Amino acid sequence: MSSDFYTSSILPYAGIIIKICRAYTDSQEDFEDYYQEVCLQIWRSKDKFRGDSQWSTWIYRLSLNICLTLIRKKKKNRQHYTTDYTIQNQAIEDDLAFPDESLNLLYSAIKQLSELDRAVILLYLEEKPNKEIADIIGTTPNNIAVRVNRIKERLKKILDGKIN
Amino acid sequence: MEKSIESIWKQGFLEDNIMVVPKLNYFYNKRSIHIIDKFKRMFKINLNALVIFSLVLLPVSFFVKIPVMGVLMFILFNAIVIINKKLLKGLNKIDKNVNCYEYLKSFDDWMKAQISINKKMSRYIYPYVFLAMVSGFWFSSPFRESMHRILGSHEVYFVFGIPVFWVLAMLIIVVLLAIFGGRIYKWDLYLVYGRILRKLDELITDMEDLRN
Repeated sequence: MSSDFYTSSILPYAGIIIKICRAYTDSQEDFEDYYQEVCLQIWRSKDKFRGDSQWSTWIYRLSLNICLTLIRKKKKNRQHYTTDYTIQNQAIEDDLAFPDESLNLLYSAIKQLSELDRAVILLYLEEKPNKEIADIIGTTPNNIAVRVNRIKERLKKILDGKIN
Repeated sequence: MEKSIESIWKQGFLEDNIMVVPKLNYFYNKRSIHIIDKFKRMFKINLNALVIFSLVLLPVSFFVKIPVMGVLMFILFNAIVIINKKLLKGLNKIDKNVNCYEYLKSFDDWMKAQISINKKMSRYIYPYVFLAMVSGFWFSSPFRESMHRILGSHEVYFVFGIPVFWVLAMLIIVVLLAIFGGRIYKWDLYLVYGRILRKLDELITDMEDLRN
């Protein structure tokens, strides 16, 4: 990967990649692995970008697909992998935690969602329009609108009383 | 009043330097160590398999009355294992405390040296294996008896008690194996370690690209 490409085409969108990778990982080590893989895959697939969507949208799509693939691979490797943790007992590693405690709680709540719901809510929180989310996920904008409402309800329930 | 998830998200990411981008050099560390460890594991397993195979082959060859082949193969396989175990010591000496590009390059250098030694040896190994098999059969009494029965009615020239056409055919095959031994070894090598070697090349190319 040339450092020019990384600086000009990946680094400006590092925030997006970091947000997505953090939603699918529980440790700094995994996070760095996922981030690495996403950057490498973006670089390797750059010639496949046809320009029919924005570069940022394409990065979103690729990052999500790679994280979903990696999380499935990880699940296969770990026989007893579980996602039914609660906010209270899920230890956020110090080095992975954000300075804002509310944001940490929100991330913990997001991690309790299904993999697809995590993708939808991340895109929603990034203020992507429903049509773009639908394009990335591969469904209809109406479906996304309904899904976002349900996810928000679920997050509200999980976070109920924990954030002021 | 409770904050909305949208405001938590926005406010949480407002702070400067909240997201620390992992260093680019870190990217390849785990990958390179993983690839090299995988290779080491496979290499050790293959050497052990060779020892086990030679130990099984030896008594079996006596049992099926081709002891010459069993003994020759036993010597060969164990010689290959001893040489490659010595080569493996060189691999274990590679310093892991250097950066991952240097680590990968050291591994690549070791790999090239190892391939070159084994490639040279293969020019002798494959003809040796062939000769061991042929002699194994030739010196087994059941095989000799059958050959005598077949050749009994024909007039055949013998060289050191071996039919001349047999010697000629053997010589041609031995020469061919000596010529193509190196290529056969490379084909064999890529069959077993091809995936790892391709990944290694890919990683080094990526990293060289990154350094330029």
